Amino acid sequence: MPIFDQGYQHWDGQLSGHGWRWLTVTRQGVRAQMKNRLTRVVLLFALLPAIGLALTLIAWGLLEQQADFIRPLFAFLRLPRELMEGPKAFRQPIWSAAFHFFFSFEMFFSMILVMLVGPGLISQDLRFNAIPLYFSRPLRRFDYFLGKLGVIGFFLALVAIVPAVLAYLLGVLFSLDFSVFKDTWRLLAASIGYGLVIVLSAGTLMLALSSLSRNSRYVGLFWVGIWIISGTVGGVLSGMHEESAEHEARRAEFELARLAGQGARKKGFDQNEWMRIQEKANAARAEAARSNWRPLFSYTDNLHRMRAAFFDTHSSFVLLGKVGGRNNRELADQLVPQYPWYWSAGVLAGLFGISIWILTTRVKSLDRLK
Amino acid sequence: MLFQLDNVTKTYGKITALKSLAVEVGPGAVGLLGPNGSGKTTLIRTLLGLINIDAGTGSVLDMDIHSQRLDIRQAVGFVPEDECLFPAVDGVDFVAYAGELGGMSRTDCLQRAHEVLDYVGLGEARYRRVETYSTGMKQRLKLASAIIHDPQLLILDEPTNGMDPDGRRDLLELSRDLAHNKGMSLLFSSHLLPDVEAVCDHVVVLGRGQLLAQGRIQDMKQVHHRFFEVRLKDDPERFVRHLRTLGCTAEPRDDLLLVQIPADQTQALLWQTAAATGGQIRFLRPQRSTLEEVFLKAVAEV
Repeated sequence: MPIFDQGYQHWDGQLSGHGWRWLTVTRQGVRAQMKNRLTRVVLLFALLPAIGLALTLIAWGLLEQQADFIRPLFAFLRLPRELMEGPKAFRQPIWSAAFHFFFSFEMFFSMILVMLVGPGLISQDLRFNAIPLYFSRPLRRFDYFLGKLGVIGFFLALVAIVPAVLAYLLGVLFSLDFSVFKDTWRLLAASIGYGLVIVLSAGTLMLALSSLSRNSRYVGLFWVGIWIISGTVGGVLSGMHEESAEHEARRAEFELARLAGQGARKKGFDQNEWMRIQEKANAARAEAARSNWRPLFSYTDNLHRMRAAFFDTHSSFVLLGKVGGRNNRELADQLVPQYPWYWSAGVLAGLFGISIWILTTRVKSLDRLK
Repeated sequence: MLFQLDNVTKTYGKITALKSLAVEVGPGAVGLLGPNGSGKTTLIRTLLGLINIDAGTGSVLDMDIHSQRLDIRQAVGFVPEDECLFPAVDGVDFVAYAGELGGMSRTDCLQRAHEVLDYVGLGEARYRRVETYSTGMKQRLKLASAIIHDPQLLILDEPTNGMDPDGRRDLLELSRDLAHNKGMSLLFSSHLLPDVEAVCDHVVVLGRGQLLAQGRIQDMKQVHHRFFEVRLKDDPERFVRHLRTLGCTAEPRDDLLLVQIPADQTQALLWQTAAATGGQIRFLRPQRSTLEEVFLKAVAEV
């Protein structure tokens, strides 16, 4: 029997418009990635920090209501009396710190997810020559890129933006106080904004890498290289610079103290002089950190710097450092990068521009000779 | 009108792929012929709105090739020349995904994917990963994904390239069935003249980016009134010798004789000769130009 005798039916259904065509590419990509067991496992683990964030916000809401069953827990955790007795006054910095640590943990899972999901997105299309199949359908190059970015965006949103928003809503619910919106709406906006920065930056960078090779394993390795090696280089250079500034300051202060001691015919230094020298060295280190551009080498440090800017975590940590009548800025200075946030914004914008250029160069339209 | 181009020019640097091309093609099965570099693929890309032309206007299915590119691609089915696949999917997902990219709903796509895969003979392989398909199966898969939305116009770019004889025959039968029994218009681009002849009724011949010939294949295959193809029941030796004494030429061609009669004679001469030599004519028809001859003549005129 000739094969065409098996029948051909005409179809007269409706075709949709072109506006949301990119979503088809995203849906297909998400469906394909969800078949990967490892991706599902990582997604599951990535929910752990989200649970931690939600529990923190819920617990703080209950503490604000002075719930009896929650106070022993905070007492066990040796929460300072000031916080225990006036938790509402510290709502904003505590929430800010909670979001800071949530996104800090989630960065690791985000990088892993991008490594699992991203490498094959374009490289496999190049390997199997799928580009003509896409562009011979009602799909523009922009739709194609947006659809592929949507796949990475979906997974990053699933581990970063969605849990942050849900945790925020839970925190609001458990605080039973509408003033919480006034105090913390910036954190909600910052969560969404910072999540979009991660999606746009990591998404376009991964797509650009994916378009550079037909072998997705190489792309994955390249991504790990950018993540780990750039982080190590940035960390080492940055540490060396700040150590060196501290060491120089200490040496200079010792020299001054030694000369002053010689004038006074004094042997050795007393404890006050030691402390003064150490303070000077710390100040020199902090000063060096404020103009230290070396963390810019690290891709994740740039994202961390943007996170600190979005959540204004330095102010929050400074406020928390004052608890108990202390004025401890060191904690804030150690936890939050000091150099201007717009340096990192510039680096990320540059990477974004380069990624777009690579994409448009590597994934060409069909308007060319073979 | 299937498509119409007016004064279309397309250059790639110093290379002129289409040169003031003007062509109008009506519905039906149309073959697109031309040697390598004649502009066939550029013409197809122009029709699909995949490239920006330097000059000229045109329409496909009454849609403007400049302003309605996406609409054209939605209405037209296209089977590209190269081996190309959506990776890491099975046959059903491949075809359904193609339908979704064309604007069909997921439910319609899945239902229709099964129908068209059955139609092209891939029903048994529908759940196999497409990377494991043979070349012939991949071609049929591309055909299935091009017809999932039941397009008015199906464009096939060198669809039988690299296929074995069985696969080629199947694809030609499918193409012919779509064009002649299912009411789908076809633009069938190929180097292989027998393929075009097997599927198409009309032909457009391109050379160096220009239109060299166009028309119905039957009309283009000109009848030669002095040349006849003859087959006799028995040994034709006496018949041939007698014809030569009458001023004819007779050359064997396959199992036939190609006979040229003098200008002042008719085919009755052949019947008279057969009667005179005791031969029985079993087959007799005036000779027609083959499509190959038409093609070579058109190309030689550039």
